[in-house]
Amino acid sequence: MIAFWKNFALPSQLRAAGVLGMNRRNYEIIAKSNRRCLYPLVDDKVQTKKLAANVGINTPHLIGVIEMQNEVDHFLKIVKEYNEFVIKPAHGSGGKGVLVIKQYSADRFVTASGKTLNYHEVYQHISNILSGLYSLGGKYDVAVLEEMVHFSNQFEDFSYQGIPDVRVIVYQGFPAMAMMRLATKESGGRANLHQGAVGVGIDIKTGHALAAVLHNQPIKFHPDTGADLMKLEVPFWRKHLEIAAKGYEMTGLGYLGADIVLDKYRGPMMLELNARPGLAIQIANNHGLRYVLKNIRCSYPKGLGWAERVNYVLK
Amino acid sequence: MLNKLKSVRAFLTIGLILSIVFSIYSAYYKIKYWGFNFAPRKVTDVWTIEEHISFVPTGDNIRLSIARPLSVAGFKILDENIIAPGYKIEKKDQRIEISSNPKKSLQDIYYRILLYDNVDSRGKIEAQKPSSPKLPVMDEKTEALAQQIIEMATQEKGDIVQQVVSLFGQNPPNGVVLSFIPEPRTDKAVVQAIIDILALKGVPARLVRGIRLEKGKKTLNLDVMFEAYLDGMWKIYNPQTGKKGLPSNFIVFQRGGNSLVDVEGGTDSITKFSVMKSIRSSFRMAGHRAEISQSRNLFDYSIYSLPLHEQNTLKWLMIFPLAILVVVLMRNVVGLQTMGTFTPMLIAMSLVETGFCAGLICFSVILASGLLIRAGLSKLNLLLVPRISAVVIFVILIIQILSVVGYHWKSNIALSALAFPIIIMAWVIERASITWEEDGAVNATKEIIYSVLVAIITYFVIVNEYIRHIMFAFNEFNLVILFIVMLLGTYTGYRLTELKRFAPLVNKGKK
Repeated sequence: MIAFWKNFALPSQLRAAGVLGMNRRNYEIIAKSNRRCLYPLVDDKVQTKKLAANVGINTPHLIGVIEMQNEVDHFLKIVKEYNEFVIKPAHGSGGKGVLVIKQYSADRFVTASGKTLNYHEVYQHISNILSGLYSLGGKYDVAVLEEMVHFSNQFEDFSYQGIPDVRVIVYQGFPAMAMMRLATKESGGRANLHQGAVGVGIDIKTGHALAAVLHNQPIKFHPDTGADLMKLEVPFWRKHLEIAAKGYEMTGLGYLGADIVLDKYRGPMMLELNARPGLAIQIANNHGLRYVLKNIRCSYPKGLGWAERVNYVLK
Repeated sequence: MLNKLKSVRAFLTIGLILSIVFSIYSAYYKIKYWGFNFAPRKVTDVWTIEEHISFVPTGDNIRLSIARPLSVAGFKILDENIIAPGYKIEKKDQRIEISSNPKKSLQDIYYRILLYDNVDSRGKIEAQKPSSPKLPVMDEKTEALAQQIIEMATQEKGDIVQQVVSLFGQNPPNGVVLSFIPEPRTDKAVVQAIIDILALKGVPARLVRGIRLEKGKKTLNLDVMFEAYLDGMWKIYNPQTGKKGLPSNFIVFQRGGNSLVDVEGGTDSITKFSVMKSIRSSFRMAGHRAEISQSRNLFDYSIYSLPLHEQNTLKWLMIFPLAILVVVLMRNVVGLQTMGTFTPMLIAMSLVETGFCAGLICFSVILASGLLIRAGLSKLNLLLVPRISAVVIFVILIIQILSVVGYHWKSNIALSALAFPIIIMAWVIERASITWEEDGAVNATKEIIYSVLVAIITYFVIVNEYIRHIMFAFNEFNLVILFIVMLLGTYTGYRLTELKRFAPLVNKGKK
């Protein structure tokens, strides 16, 4: 019984630790910072890409968009100039419905995890995307074909398949907290913490690992690769922060989560923005978000450009 | 921003307080004037007392004065009529007076009173302080006996009145007491003797006559009790047992020495009483009560004046806000993730119709078979809308099969399938199967379990007959719920589940 209660914290303890709860996030942060009409900007990946290009944020190149069922027949024609490509739903979230094709011929498609699919299966996958299987609320969707990210071998040992990405929480334009999400065998190559991915808190000033969690519990080593997670260090850290900070100018969202991946050739690239980023980042950082945000709200300077804001954070 | 939050909260809190005040007043009003009750009582007893007075006219002008029952004593008069053809009727505060010119043949007069039990408004009888009692006229021998009785009564501890009554009620009777009571020993004689004794002691007391309501009672004599004035208040006693307080079934017709019926211009008068009991719907009765309390207009525009069928529908609707409150609490304060916001509430509603166990079993069967079929469907790679439509049709088929099986096996469990909302079931199946595919079986099962858990909690709240009755009879409480729900909309504290989720953040110092 006592052991059971040890798993619980008192509300006063959480308050003291500055933990931001779901209700407060929704009421005080999201409802006040993010106007509803801005959501479509980040919910649609095609839109996001266009906006990102406007403010000079790197994203994976768009190969093409499939909007209608009858266009699915031509998908091979669309990608014929590329040796590898990614298919994803424009309105997907959390990596759902993402298919990475590393290599292909007329009827043989090899995915990033090494699985082989035939033409019909890929065709069906695109069909499913269009019918809204992976989209928010199950609405009809379009399929986005884009260039594959060549993920930097910097993180090779730190992730079991899948692409490790950096999530930066940006509040009023200032990067507030960051974590890296590493896929595990259990998470099936996906980078969602609730599916069993590893979350590594990253020091916002340096890009160095602070703490790591798996299933809400602190860990030191990657469960599959055994890499020492505390040695993790994100290169081009300033670039990451710049992309995240620009997300504010790009969308006008006062509270957002930027998902950034590191490409071997093109450097940090923005994958997507999220208008309702989750709260697990607090656990990965072993640090509450509430007072960090409050501090930004109350004592950070206003009216700065993105570069100045990044400078301010790094200072 | 913080100030704005506070002002929203302040506004809602004021709204909540106002709604609570209003509800309490409204509930008080309904209880007091409409006879509503917190306990669910579907019917109210209505008693009909018929007083039949017959007499032979003497040839003079006839004048009758009949005592009216006193309505303060826990009963209210619903209706009152007097059948006296050819008489002039005049209703006074405590008596009814009828008069006519001389008549010849035997006269029959009926005085009929419809009373209903108004337990809620039952109160103490307030009366002016009487002047000190007149000393009874007694000869020496009787007075000596009386003094002896008083002595005996005061030896014992406790209420003097009850002591006297118990002396009179002793079996075998005490010799002293026996010789004090005139023969024949009637209730009235005993009570008169008690009153005399109490008068000697300086305690004012008086006779109370009325009818003890019993189904189908017919009697020539009124039942007798007496009141004594003690500690600034008239208290009523049973002359047989000495028990204090007005019995719940006793109707007081008259107090003190006033006569029940005075007949002028007639002889050989006989008064007969008969009592009949009938029942009426409580809410129907409320209309009559409202009429008495002059709030008829208000009542006419309340839901209780609607036809019964509409009332039943509304009764069902009135429980929704409470169920919604439960769902809001479960999601925003406890933090359980359920499938769809109000799905658990709708499941709970179905459970009320089907019965708890039968409903749960049936729900599981539909869900399990639906998930199996949905798994098959996902292999076909259908488009979204046709796929969900297919699931809906499958659910209808499952329900059909269950109903037929249930009918032939005489199993209520299977028959209860009919009560489940088809679209909701299809939606639960679709949602569960998508969660299953995307987040794995563990997460899907969790979501289903949480949804059913919330449904069960909601079920136990809304299945309670008391709660349902209160939410219907005192529908103004829904206003309170509205403000509570809105206030919860500004709740920024931690959810119960977050206490566990974020616990690792607190324990960092301890390691």
